[in-house]
Formats: sequence, C-alpha cells, structure tokens
Amino acid sequence: MTEREFHPQVKQLLDGELTLADLPAELRDEGEEALRLLAAVDREPVSVPSVTWRVMARLERKRQRRLAWLLAPALAAAAALLVWLGRPASPVASAPGSMVTVRFVLVAPGAHQVSVAGTFNGWDPAATPLVRSGSGDMWVATLVLPSGQHQYAFVVDRARWIPDPTAPAVDDGFGRRNSVLTL
Amino acid sequence: MIRSCAAVLCVVALAVTALDAQQTIAGRLSGRVSPEIAMLVQELGSAAAHRGLPVDPLIQKAIEGSAKAIPSDRVGTAVRLVVDQLDTAAAALRNAGLATPLDTVEIAAGAFAITAGLRGRDITEIARTGRPTAEVIVGLRVAGTLAAIGVPPSETVTLVSASLRGRRGAGDLLTLPGQVQTEMARGATPAQAAAGLARAAAAQARHGPPPDRGPPPHPPAPPHP
Repeated sequence: MTEREFHPQVKQLLDGELTLADLPAELRDEGEEALRLLAAVDREPVSVPSVTWRVMARLERKRQRRLAWLLAPALAAAAALLVWLGRPASPVASAPGSMVTVRFVLVAPGAHQVSVAGTFNGWDPAATPLVRSGSGDMWVATLVLPSGQHQYAFVVDRARWIPDPTAPAVDDGFGRRNSVLTL
Repeated sequence: MIRSCAAVLCVVALAVTALDAQQTIAGRLSGRVSPEIAMLVQELGSAAAHRGLPVDPLIQKAIEGSAKAIPSDRVGTAVRLVVDQLDTAAAALRNAGLATPLDTVEIAAGAFAITAGLRGRDITEIARTGRPTAEVIVGLRVAGTLAAIGVPPSETVTLVSASLRGRRGAGDLLTLPGQVQTEMARGATPAQAAAGLARAAAAQARHGPPPDRGPPPHPPAPPHP
C-alpha cells in the first residue's frame, strides 16, 4: 500500500469538518479522489445469526410460561424480594434480534490513536480502539452490534470527536454531529 | 382480606419498581457524570418513566455529554431536549391511535426521527400505516436516517409509509437509505431519489411484488412419475 499525503484541507474533508463544496476548486479533484478511496473500503454490514440471542429468547419464553401460573400477589412479593436481596437490576429493554457485524473505517492522517465511541459502548472513548491498517492513515475496527439504531463518533488522539464522513449524521445537542447507524 | 393483601403487595411492587428504576439510573451514571447531572437525570428519568417514556435516551445523552467534556449546564439542556423529543414522539404515536401503554422502543425510535428533523405529524403519519409495532419501529428509524441524509420530511414520510403499506419487511426497509444514496451518487437530489423510490413502492403496494421477488402464483406441479 502506497502512502499518499493529502492537502490539509482535504484531510479536513475526510474528518468531516469540511464538505466538498467548501474546498477551493483546485482541491476538488483531490478531495473527490480521497472520498473515492474511502468509499472503496467495504463496510457493508453482514448479518450473523446469533446463537446467544436465540438461546436467551427461548429461555425468556420458558420463563414467561411459568409466570403465567403465578398470581399477582406472588409476583409483587417476588419483585420486592428480588430488589431487597440486592439482585442486579434487569438490563435495559432490548428486543432479541440478530447481531450484525460492522466495520468502522476512518482515514486520519497524522493520528496517533483512534477509537469509536457511541451508544453501543456507553460513549467510552477507551472501550473500542481502531487499529492502523498497514502503514497508512487508515484505521479500522470490526464490531458485532445488535440490530437497531446506534449513534457514534470517532475520537482522534483522545481529544477530537469527529463524525464518520461516510455515514448520515444528526445534531448531538452539543453543537456537533453524531453519525447514525441503522441496522 | 385476600383482596386487601393483594392491593398492598401491588403497591409495594410499584414502589419497588420505581426504586429499582432510580437505582438503575444511579448505577449507570455512577462515575460517568457529575453529581448534579446524575441528580437531574434521576429526577427527569423518574418523571419520564411515570409518563411511560423510556429513560435510556436520557442516560445515554448525559453520559455522552460528560464523555465529550461538555459543561454540565449544556448537558442538562441537552437531556431536557431529549425528554421533550420523547414527549413529542409519544404524543404523535397516541395521535395515530396506537394502544396505550406505548412501546418504549417505538417512542425512542420516534424521538430519534424528531432529532433527525421530522415533525410530530410525520411520526403520526408513519404510525398510521397500521403495520405491526416492530415494523413501525424500523420504519421510524429508517425515516430518521433518511432525514439525516437530507431527504425532506414530506418525501421521507411518503417513501417510508408507501414501503410499510407495501408490506416490505424490515430487511427491505433498512436498504432504503442505501438506495437513496446510490441515486444521489448518480446525480439525483435526496428529494428526487426518495420520490422515485416512493413511486416504485406505491406501485408495488398496488400491484404486488415484482415476479422475481414474490411467491409463485401457483404451487409447483408435482413431478411426473
């Protein structure tokens, strides 16, 4: 893989800080080429049937059948007992569904560290680092995520939060943009 | 006597559930946000849960703000905005005549669509397609994604509603943003791309799926002996 040094404004385009229309005319060809390179990277989601989800769904159905035999007071007492015994809280409602493998890619020239943070990892910038692909400026990570809707951003050098230049984005409520992944 | 006991136990269960929700919020925010934001989210979250709204989006927004080193006052404003969007989505779904209590995942999907630029009446129109909840949830998520790509609300609603009425499955709905982007790469505007796909979806709803995608009109004849 040959390394290609892009103009700083083209790097800003790849970072999502500029659009193609913001570039001066003489840099548009370079910008389009950079975006083409980025788009060439395969990030099509691949459906992976999840054994875990199917097993959990079956267990859940079994439990529901048993619960149907109990009376409401017994349920109330059981709920109270569970909490007072300090059992862990039930997880956030999430319908069992398929898991999807997703590849995250960012071209980040000059970056020393890149990670992805979003609703799927509690917005933890340290949880999901990307790895440098070869010796170039491309960083990648492959995650298995539950089907649904996720928001995320890349974190460059633990400081810069940037949206995925190849994904749709929405206002994050803080004056920036979050990328959107709908699986 | 038995009835009284049952009533008391149910009250205890409700109280315990509320306490459990508060503990869940506190546990998830512990060490991730400032104490004042944790207190605000607990307060707003308890009230939201009482109205049948999901609390996860509030917790996520508070954690996101803190992770991005946003000042507490702005995190508080963003969390309140999320509550407003959830309330708007829930009201829009109720206006569509959906049975209450509403599905919290459906409310969250509607709130996301509003974040992306749709309005309450758009959510109502999509929910009025009368499709099962699971499909409406995917429809709302796809609608939000289309809006995020730049498709105007009216074209977004027309496309998603036509696709839902055409009984396209969740897998097909999820391909819509990619199809719009493909048309945009060929030079169409987001509105033109969505309008073209909506016409195709409406035609499919009227005439059924194309021959290569639908089931065969008759069962295959048994092989000759």
